[in-house]
Amino acid sequence: MNNNNSIIEVKNLIKIYEDGDVLAVDNISFDIKKGEIFALLGPNGAGKTTTINILATLLNATDGEAKVNHYDVRKDPDKVRKSIGIVFQEPALDTEMKGWENLELHAILYGMSKKERKAKIKEVLKLVDLEDRADTYVKNYSGGMKRRLEIARGLIHEPAVLFLDEPTLGLDPQTRRKIWDKIKELNDLKMTILITTHYMEEADFLADRICIMDHGKIIALDTSENLKKQLSGDVIDIQFEKIENQMILPQIINQIREIPGVKNVSFGDIKENQNMMPMEMNLPKNMPHIDPAMIQARIRDIMSSPKKLLDAWKKFPMASQMFLNAPLEAKKRISNMFDDSLLDEVPEEIKSEIIKIKKGDYENIEQDFEPKLSISCESGGKELPLIIQKINDNNLKIKNVNMHQPTLEDVFLHFVGTAIREESSDRVKGIKNLIQLRQLRK
Amino acid sequence: MSDLNIINSKINYSAVWILAKRELIGFWRSKSRVISSLAQGLLFLFVFGAGFSSFAITIDGVPIDSRAFTASGIAAIVILFTGVFGGMGLMRDKMFGFMKELIVAPVSRNTLMVGRTLGIALQTLMQVMIMIILSIIVGYFGYDLSLIWRVILILPVALLASIGIVGMGLTISTRLRDFQSFGLIQTFIIMPMFWISGALFAFNSVPSFMQIAMLCNPFTYSVDLFRLVLLGVSYIPLWLDILVMVGFGTLLILIGSRSFNKMEVT
Repeated sequence: MNNNNSIIEVKNLIKIYEDGDVLAVDNISFDIKKGEIFALLGPNGAGKTTTINILATLLNATDGEAKVNHYDVRKDPDKVRKSIGIVFQEPALDTEMKGWENLELHAILYGMSKKERKAKIKEVLKLVDLEDRADTYVKNYSGGMKRRLEIARGLIHEPAVLFLDEPTLGLDPQTRRKIWDKIKELNDLKMTILITTHYMEEADFLADRICIMDHGKIIALDTSENLKKQLSGDVIDIQFEKIENQMILPQIINQIREIPGVKNVSFGDIKENQNMMPMEMNLPKNMPHIDPAMIQARIRDIMSSPKKLLDAWKKFPMASQMFLNAPLEAKKRISNMFDDSLLDEVPEEIKSEIIKIKKGDYENIEQDFEPKLSISCESGGKELPLIIQKINDNNLKIKNVNMHQPTLEDVFLHFVGTAIREESSDRVKGIKNLIQLRQLRK
Repeated sequence: MSDLNIINSKINYSAVWILAKRELIGFWRSKSRVISSLAQGLLFLFVFGAGFSSFAITIDGVPIDSRAFTASGIAAIVILFTGVFGGMGLMRDKMFGFMKELIVAPVSRNTLMVGRTLGIALQTLMQVMIMIILSIIVGYFGYDLSLIWRVILILPVALLASIGIVGMGLTISTRLRDFQSFGLIQTFIIMPMFWISGALFAFNSVPSFMQIAMLCNPFTYSVDLFRLVLLGVSYIPLWLDILVMVGFGTLLILIGSRSFNKMEVT
């Protein structure tokens, strides 16, 4: 490739997991330039971690090409591994060892001499402000200290690029801020950083360029500024009062779309979806105080996969209680994650609830359906009256209107909301045939 | 083509050493493990050593000190317990995420496997020595100068015996997903291997169906070789002991490294 400025080059990368025909990464291509912070942004299951695992040579790609520091991930995994430092989503430290011992083991695994090691360990510890805690056992570290130690470890062997997989997941806001500052500081020292996150504000704050992924595809790739510019103008959020006839909504959305100046209408609100679990839920009295942000992050993580949910239900009675008390919308979403075979493993109480929801027992009781629309338009002041008029024509009541400049979140909603979603199994078949054809040709 | 991208480079010996060292340091630091292994040993020695001393054991009509007989069996058994549980330490690394750091390092998986096996084998060796020295101190082996070379000779024997057992522990823990299956392993693998190994009773004192079961247990041969070295008493020819031990060790290390190479860590 002629572009020598690129640290990472990804071309037509495809990953299909052998068991289960899951298309995790769907023909993506991107370049990461030297010295930039590049963010992979997307919801859980968008394919970010799979992409990182392929780049880190932990997984083989099904098709396509990926180069890290000009080495092919498939042909030169050894050299690729030496070119990257990686901080995983979940801590990967030996907690029974001291801080510096973790670093020393890493340095030896990466083939550094004793003299190099000593100097470098000192240097990276200083960089993350852990010099005075080097002799402490990692089990006594706080969450933020562990993260910093992992970042330090990732830097010891002087990698060409640092991978950070959800670096602030589960950290409290202050610690998060500190980690962000460290990341910025590293970047000022010319370190190239690839970061995955599902926090918009994280990508917005840190990244030079943002790559939005959903369902294994890249749906937008640009600087945060440019992404927002694509949504120039205003964003209007409209919250309706309860709607009895839901069938009217698509009709309204279409009518609003036809208004000149309106660029896009999407349904729902990301923030609300993420905070599905009510924060004011009643925690047991004997619970130790834990930062709510941490609980939220944990819950969000658990709700991302049926397996984790099953685990939680089995182990903690509180988790099943939370499910039963959750808002209907959340329950519905969770129910959809369980097909008949998975349902057998679900505890009785929850199983019957899920079956009820699936049968639609609650459809009639559904009183408090208050949909929300997010409309992006050229000039809010001009279009807002027209929009409201359309809504009035349909005899719907508005509860709340909010107009603001587009945030990255709106950008995300804009792209994810309009992406075409085909039936994924058909798509997998198509791609599999394609790959077979290619192999035959060879 | 597999999902996993595995490095096939050679074994990196400095990495092997640091991994082995990690096992040893970890063992030394968890005082509860050191103390419980000592206490267990003492318990075995006194309960079985004293309790079984009333049985007369003879080989070819020559009576044998039953306490020495039991003590040497127990020294061999230490390998079984520490070896398998040491191998299970891999489970901990898998569950607490450290395994990821290891498998993303630029070393082959065989390096990781060899390092860990060596570390646990050395740790097992230390425990066996502690056990033998305890037995000598309480006088179970009598006081005899020939004990010195016997103890030295037991070192390679113990190392050989532990390779297969550690391989077994590693194989099991690469396949297990959680600690809950731990009890199963204990009940269906470790305990039968322990009871049917002849560590606590003489081969010629049991009915023939039991003898057949014993001969099917690969660990019987390790116990037998231990006795040959420590006591000069043996029921099975030396060449067969060594053959089975080498075969069992090689087989399990191969199986272990195979499943280790296939292990997914996500």
